Amino acid sequence: MQLAGKYLLHAAPPKVWATLMNMDTLAKVVPGISRLEKTGDHTFKSILDIKLGPVSGSFTGNLQLDDLQEPSAFTLKAQQNSRIGNANAAIKINLSPVGTDDTEIVFDGDVKLSGMLASLGQRVMGGVSNTLTKQFFSNLEKELEKTPAS
Amino acid sequence: MSTNGLIGRAIKRVEDKRFLTGHGNYTDDIVLPKQTYASFVRSQYAHARLLNVDTSAAKEMPGVVAIYTGTDLVDVNGVPCGWQVNFKNGDTMKEPKHPLLVADKVRHVGDAIAIVIAETIEQATDAAEAVMVEYEELPCVVDAAKAVQSGAPLVHDDVPNNKSFDWVLGNPIEEVNEAMRKAAHVSTLEFVNQRLVPNAIEPRSYNSSYDPATEKYTLYTSSQNPHLIRLLMCAFVLGIPEHKVRVVSPDVGGGFGSKIFHYTEEALLTWCSKKIGRPVKWTSERSESFLLDAHGRDHITKADMGFDANGKIVALRVKTYANLGAYLSTFSSCVPTYLHGTLMQGLYTTPKINVDVTGVFTNTTPVDAYRGAGRPEATYLLERLIDLAALEMNIDPADLRFRNFIPPFDGVNQPGYQTQVALQYDSGNYEGVLKKGLEMVNYAEVRREQQEAAHNGKLVGIGFSTYIEACGIAPSAIVGSLGCRAGLFESAHVRVQPTGKVSVYTGSHSHGQGHETTFAQVVADKLGINLNDVEIIHGDSEAVAFGMGTYGSRSLSVGGSAIIKSIEKIIEKGKKIAAHKLEASADDIEFSSGKFTVKGTDKSIGFGEVALTAYVPHVYPKDLEPGLDFSSFYDPANFTYPFGCHIAVVEVDKETGKVSLKRFIAVDDVGNVINPMIVEGQIHGGLVQGIGQALFEGAEYDENGQLTNASYMDYCMPRADDFPMFEMGSQVTPCPHNPLGVKGAGEAGTIGAAPAIVNAVIDALWSGGHKVKDIRMPLTSERVWHAMVDA
Repeated sequence: MQLAGKYLLHAAPPKVWATLMNMDTLAKVVPGISRLEKTGDHTFKSILDIKLGPVSGSFTGNLQLDDLQEPSAFTLKAQQNSRIGNANAAIKINLSPVGTDDTEIVFDGDVKLSGMLASLGQRVMGGVSNTLTKQFFSNLEKELEKTPAS
Repeated sequence: MSTNGLIGRAIKRVEDKRFLTGHGNYTDDIVLPKQTYASFVRSQYAHARLLNVDTSAAKEMPGVVAIYTGTDLVDVNGVPCGWQVNFKNGDTMKEPKHPLLVADKVRHVGDAIAIVIAETIEQATDAAEAVMVEYEELPCVVDAAKAVQSGAPLVHDDVPNNKSFDWVLGNPIEEVNEAMRKAAHVSTLEFVNQRLVPNAIEPRSYNSSYDPATEKYTLYTSSQNPHLIRLLMCAFVLGIPEHKVRVVSPDVGGGFGSKIFHYTEEALLTWCSKKIGRPVKWTSERSESFLLDAHGRDHITKADMGFDANGKIVALRVKTYANLGAYLSTFSSCVPTYLHGTLMQGLYTTPKINVDVTGVFTNTTPVDAYRGAGRPEATYLLERLIDLAALEMNIDPADLRFRNFIPPFDGVNQPGYQTQVALQYDSGNYEGVLKKGLEMVNYAEVRREQQEAAHNGKLVGIGFSTYIEACGIAPSAIVGSLGCRAGLFESAHVRVQPTGKVSVYTGSHSHGQGHETTFAQVVADKLGINLNDVEIIHGDSEAVAFGMGTYGSRSLSVGGSAIIKSIEKIIEKGKKIAAHKLEASADDIEFSSGKFTVKGTDKSIGFGEVALTAYVPHVYPKDLEPGLDFSSFYDPANFTYPFGCHIAVVEVDKETGKVSLKRFIAVDDVGNVINPMIVEGQIHGGLVQGIGQALFEGAEYDENGQLTNASYMDYCMPRADDFPMFEMGSQVTPCPHNPLGVKGAGEAGTIGAAPAIVNAVIDALWSGGHKVKDIRMPLTSERVWHAMVDA
């Protein structure tokens, strides 16, 4: 499944970057996250509770921030396993400045689903991922508002 | 033989009382002492190597009795395939092991990795979720045409190009090519006959137990053929002596073919029941049904039909890739070959036919017989081509058929019709059903309405399908010569009780067909007794001597004929008993309306009294054994060949592409009819499944081998309000080679219906100037709309 979109954030790229690279804020902004544990410089172990239409589940797995090009691009990789199926994602995220104070985030990637997630969840995945993405960015926006401009 | 008029009457089904009042007894209703429950760990991936299966945490879960994985079963055989098909060069088909649990690599989503047995179903399910599986995902292939290309991922490492077999039937290809070259017109279609999920209302269920005292196993199974399961499981999988296994199929909630096959779970539960010394039950969840019950169809085909200048078919050439899924299911190899290629004559005098089929493994659910099994695919191909040719040559499609029909023959005064593709048709009057169909639809009038509609900017279409099927499966010698690894006869044991009541033990299992009524009608009619004095017993290997089961519209023509043979023996013996009682010669006794009478006199004795005498033989012929109890086996001389004409009238919405089915006319000739209401019901059900394929159904895999519509939220099942009232007609051309003259009605609707619908939609589009050759089934609004816009 393709996951792509863009979002305008009211902060400059360096600040957005710093926020995204901070594990504590990441734990707050990723929807459904119940546990996030650092396992390496840019790798995390995570537990996510997510409802996808007719199926819901607790996902455990790894999150990884890769191909870091501060402050303009990185790739978010996720391998998540659950009793309702596994999800594997690699999403390229680009941050580009808009004017002096804003950042446009463009993301594009592929999510591979298996098991019940694929056979029952696929139909609603588009809608669910839209909702989750919106939640993510609105959470991120709130976090950015909290921290003073750097 | 006598008759009391029960044959031919629309008697209400005697079995329905228990079904409608909730008193049916299904496998899942059976709870045995010390019952345990199983749940499976199944593959989430279409193709992956198993790196590690960790059951340690699951074993500690509450209520867990045992967990087995593939490594526990490496010495146990897999489930076999029942039909050997050979490559063109004579090599035997590739039939890789289909293990009960996978040890090395999984080959389709749902492939079984471990079985978890616990005290309750909830505990088993919870523990199964705690089994940790580590996979190494491998590239997969889901499309049969892609799977045979070099470089495609291999489903089985030792099967090159994923080909189980390539197979050819008919006239030499050079002759067919030559005839095609000389043809005045050739119509060509490249199409997909899409994969279907069978969707029986009762999910598969098994309950297996082992008694250490008698060393006997009992398997309750939701099967269409319990004896066949016993044979396959004992002789080919587990190596248990057959007399130590009882297999019972109690009430079964629909099969449509999907419950013919010997599934891995049946053998595995039986194996486990001895290991743990307790009964083990498993009932498939609906999402497991979608993933595991053998699917149907899935052909990719290119076909050419050549015509001379007068519209006579001169040649047919077919190339099909048949998707077999990841493993060979029990009858998977014969469905796209001997049940498909052999039907390519259709109802037409085509002189040159060549059909070439490649059976292909893919990382998908195994594919096997589903209502019609090969014959709907053959009918779809022929009937789509002939309607398309009619449009392309601007000849009326009914007229084009009349030009090509095999002339009527009854199989008695005129011989059977020898086809170019192995079979010999028994009897037929093909123009008869089309004529009747044209009358019923009022053809000239609907064509006029179509023109008027086109004038008013509406798209109305009329589609035909004149089909034939090979049923009454099957003459053992013929199918044996074609690779079948079993005989396909049927057995019947008729036991007359001392009071004249009759118990009939038949090998034909009933799971929706109404045998308990139809068979009782036959017996009561022939013996001149009341319907409720006959009991039909089926589905228990300890009660019934043997049985080959219910599929291929065979029950009445094969199973019913076996019953007739036993009844003939009973009447013959009854005559001897009556002769003794009446002090006459047995040759002078005639049996009619339940009475044995001395010819030309009024001296007679009733059937009940003869029965009592047989069991209380105080006054009895010296050379006769007591009892009135006979067993028979019937092996048919030929297949039976029902046929018919289906006509669909549709309207297509120009703006949205939505197809509305306005009328559906079905004229079916199924030979003699015992119970017209049951036949009509069978045809209704078949039509709904055939039209379901044309308009609604289809299993959709994504490129990762995930079945993306494995639920009733996503897989579109036909509903009552999708259909108009069916307009049913009939014609009777008796089967010349079985005692009842019956041909079979279970699959007729499914075999004929789909092409009539698609032809009607194509006809509608042509009436609006959209010269579309094909639209892929199911004909959703989106696909029809695209076809219109893109044409």
